[in-house]
Amino acid sequence: MSDDPHILWLDQEGAPGNPLLGGKFASLAEMTAAGFAVPVGFGVTTTAYRVFMAHAGLDDKAAFVREAARRSALAEIGSARARLTDAIGATPMPGTLETAIRRNYAALEERTGRAGVPVAVRSSGEAEDLADASFAGQYDTYLWIAGADAVLRHVRSCWASMFGDAALSYRAGGGEAAAAGGDGICVGIQQMVEARAAGVMFTLDPLNGDRSKIVMEACWGLGEGVVKGDVTPSRFTVDKVTLEIVKRDVVPQAEEYRFDPTANAVCLMPLAPERGQTACIDDAEALALARLAKRIEGHRGAAQDIEWAIGADGEVRVLQVRPETVWSQRESAGLVSESRSAVGHVLARLSGGRVATAGPGQREP
Amino acid sequence: MPRMSDTPESAGTGPEAAATPPPNRGFPSPFELPTPDGAEGWEELYPYYCLISDERRAMEEGKFWFFDGMHNPEPLYPFDTIMTENWWVAASQMASRVWPIPVAMGIDQRLVNGYIYVSPNSVTDPEQIAARNEHFTRRAGHYFENWDEIYGNWAEKAKDCIARLNEIEFRPLPELEPEENVFGHRGVYSSHDLLSAYNRLIENMLEMGSYHFEMLNLGYGAYLTFREFCQQAFPGITDRTLTQIVCGIDNLLLRPDDKVRELAELAVEQNLAGVVLQHDDPDALLAAMAEADGGAEWLEAFEAAKEPWFHFSTGVGYDHSDPVWIDDLRLPFIALRGYVEALGRGEDIRRPLERLLAERQRVTAEYRALLPTDRDREAFDGLLALTCKVFPYVEDHNFYVEHWHHTIFWSKVRELADVFVAHGFLDDREDLFYLHRHEVYDALYDLLIGWATGTPPRGEVYWRPIVQRRRRIRDSLCKWTPPPALGTPPDVVTEPITIMLWGITEKTIEEWLGVDPTAAGDVLRGVPASAGKVTGPARVITRTEDLYSVSEGEILVCRITAPSWATVFGRIGAAVSDVGGMMAHTAIISREYGLPAVVGVGFATATIRTGDRVEVDGNEGTVTVLERAAP
Repeated sequence: MSDDPHILWLDQEGAPGNPLLGGKFASLAEMTAAGFAVPVGFGVTTTAYRVFMAHAGLDDKAAFVREAARRSALAEIGSARARLTDAIGATPMPGTLETAIRRNYAALEERTGRAGVPVAVRSSGEAEDLADASFAGQYDTYLWIAGADAVLRHVRSCWASMFGDAALSYRAGGGEAAAAGGDGICVGIQQMVEARAAGVMFTLDPLNGDRSKIVMEACWGLGEGVVKGDVTPSRFTVDKVTLEIVKRDVVPQAEEYRFDPTANAVCLMPLAPERGQTACIDDAEALALARLAKRIEGHRGAAQDIEWAIGADGEVRVLQVRPETVWSQRESAGLVSESRSAVGHVLARLSGGRVATAGPGQREP
Repeated sequence: MPRMSDTPESAGTGPEAAATPPPNRGFPSPFELPTPDGAEGWEELYPYYCLISDERRAMEEGKFWFFDGMHNPEPLYPFDTIMTENWWVAASQMASRVWPIPVAMGIDQRLVNGYIYVSPNSVTDPEQIAARNEHFTRRAGHYFENWDEIYGNWAEKAKDCIARLNEIEFRPLPELEPEENVFGHRGVYSSHDLLSAYNRLIENMLEMGSYHFEMLNLGYGAYLTFREFCQQAFPGITDRTLTQIVCGIDNLLLRPDDKVRELAELAVEQNLAGVVLQHDDPDALLAAMAEADGGAEWLEAFEAAKEPWFHFSTGVGYDHSDPVWIDDLRLPFIALRGYVEALGRGEDIRRPLERLLAERQRVTAEYRALLPTDRDREAFDGLLALTCKVFPYVEDHNFYVEHWHHTIFWSKVRELADVFVAHGFLDDREDLFYLHRHEVYDALYDLLIGWATGTPPRGEVYWRPIVQRRRRIRDSLCKWTPPPALGTPPDVVTEPITIMLWGITEKTIEEWLGVDPTAAGDVLRGVPASAGKVTGPARVITRTEDLYSVSEGEILVCRITAPSWATVFGRIGAAVSDVGGMMAHTAIISREYGLPAVVGVGFATATIRTGDRVEVDGNEGTVTVLERAAP
């Protein structure tokens, strides 16, 4: 464990909800503390990022690029951005920071019992995963990174992704949301789940806001395809109360994301047809996921959007939790606009009226 | 009093919709359907008012007709139209004239190739709706406010009606009038007794038929309102969950099966399990029981259980040909053996009422907690409480009316048929059902004339060839598969019973419009009624008698299941039905037995043949024919 301000482990005291971990990792620390199965790992904190930027003398350049982005002048600052991201990639880190990252990666190797343990290097922005803006996918994530040198390289890439097109334009458009968040970023280093199947799930039906449903999208292999959208996932809808699978839409899959040792990278690889034709998760797994989603929602006290993976060992791991932002933001004015007796409601209905004048069924997201 | 302007036509219903039918968006015209081979002249089986007619062609084609296979899966026997003709008036008048429900008039009917098609009439004129609403609020409000008391009295009326039905007797006319009628100076004789018994029989049926609907629309209306509210809050909530929240865990329809469970327990207690298991034939079992030690006590319990619980039809009570437990003990005794065997294996055969209740409370509380505001929870609580108040009637009326009363009614009709057989009008008691009840009145009068005059009545030579011809026609009609709907699709469906009982909504109609029955492939779609997935050989049941041939693990494929088929649910692997609304009980029974079920498939009995290997997916609502049986 670390008392270094540059490093905070997910299962370290003081980690849950700590803003030094950025939105995503602070939530994962919270999940870890609550006993959910989160892959082991640590965050290179927002302090580390700030120390690096100050040490490299890049604060002013960063502020300039950000200001330009707020004025929606992205196209005019192409070269300034390129110089900034190049500098983030090339300027030496303060020795203490680099040593800290190397030491803690070594600790991770020890904890997992694997030399050169493959990890996911994930951005966790300060403004990310706020209840009113997800920032989902705006920052970069790198999968299956092995060895301390590669980890260090990708930490820099995550820092640089703060100034990528996607992040900057989202923040520009996000306005208030971005202003409310900080400018810092944490980089999470987490043991890679060698996923047999993975995906996302919502603790409400994202199509109509039905709070009594859990909707999951799942695919063979790593969940990259579901998040990126280049693999059409199978979709399952589970009733949150009765825990019955009420809808199954199994989509045949020809390719899956997995690690390719030849390319030494995660690639879209052909999937054995007999696997691709069948559902990537069985009913028991879908129900186990639904129960997990229900527990997470109960713990977090609001509708959630959850990334998960099932390892080769069959264990479900939680990769990310964040508040559902679309339906939760709609102020729920309720369904019934007028207080009436039950008989009054029935008489009104039989006279051609409706009890509920609003409600999920009435609205489009 | 209703004035002429209150007729459905002027109330803004039906026919005018025919003026501009959208192109290619209609169902077949009832006039275009071919008569099945061998069924030419089928119209003679039914009164004129049941038939579509050319002189009203525009109106008939402008209406939306859907097949009521739920209550009458087969072509109607002429006599059995008493049931459909009863509700034609009795159910309709409640909506149109008694309450009156603001947006709905009655439900019309026609017989097409002998199959019943029905058509709800709506009220769409806002002024009419407002005028009706005033009466409705007062009248229906009174019933809701005093529900428990009115239902208590209702049950007494129903039992009294059944008692009077039981007293009706039919006997052949005597050679000479009995002396007591002469010396007692009665002045009316056996002829009058026979005729008035028949009149009382018909009136008794129509009386019960009227009670049948006294509270039904309102009961369904309360449930409909609760259901729609839940669907609005939780668009994906299943009917399965809704029934779990509101249905009685201990309603009267479950009582007959409970009685069989009790008899099984008693048999085991008294060391009579061997007697039950040794005898397949009910009569042999009863005879062996009479001989066995302790058998007398069991027989006494059996006799007590029969009244009234074995007045339990294997159908929905509308068809005289559905076997009834009390006349055909095979079904309850199959179940009895099953329960005795289960007890032998040390199983607890009692329904887990506490667990069911606890689960229902959990489901209700969790759904309630998901509602957004306190006002919504208040509406939920109120509507649920009202629905639970009306539901005992909604469920239990079925036992009083369709089972207890109607099964006795059919047995009385057979008693009357025996009189016709005794007087040489008919060869077999079952033949009477080929006569309409109005024709029976004629035949009865003919019989009285013959008895009184001494001239052999014409009925002795008149009815046999008619019965023979009608049997042939009806057999031909049985081979036809009625399309789910005819005529012009409506824009809206408002009539509560149509929605609640038949499960017909604008969505159903859209689905039907998209179905080409001739193109039915290997995957059939329906409503997922009970979860699970099972593969097995199909057993297609088109007549209730076929039930006895169902083997272990087969997939039951039928037009519709009835509550009393429960006993075969212990043996089948899954259930599939052509029709089914949420109140049809198929889903509930399947769930109780933990069997996958898909209902409302539309064309399962026409597409699937006995012996086909099929997969039933009760989660998805699909039925897939994996392998066709050799023809």
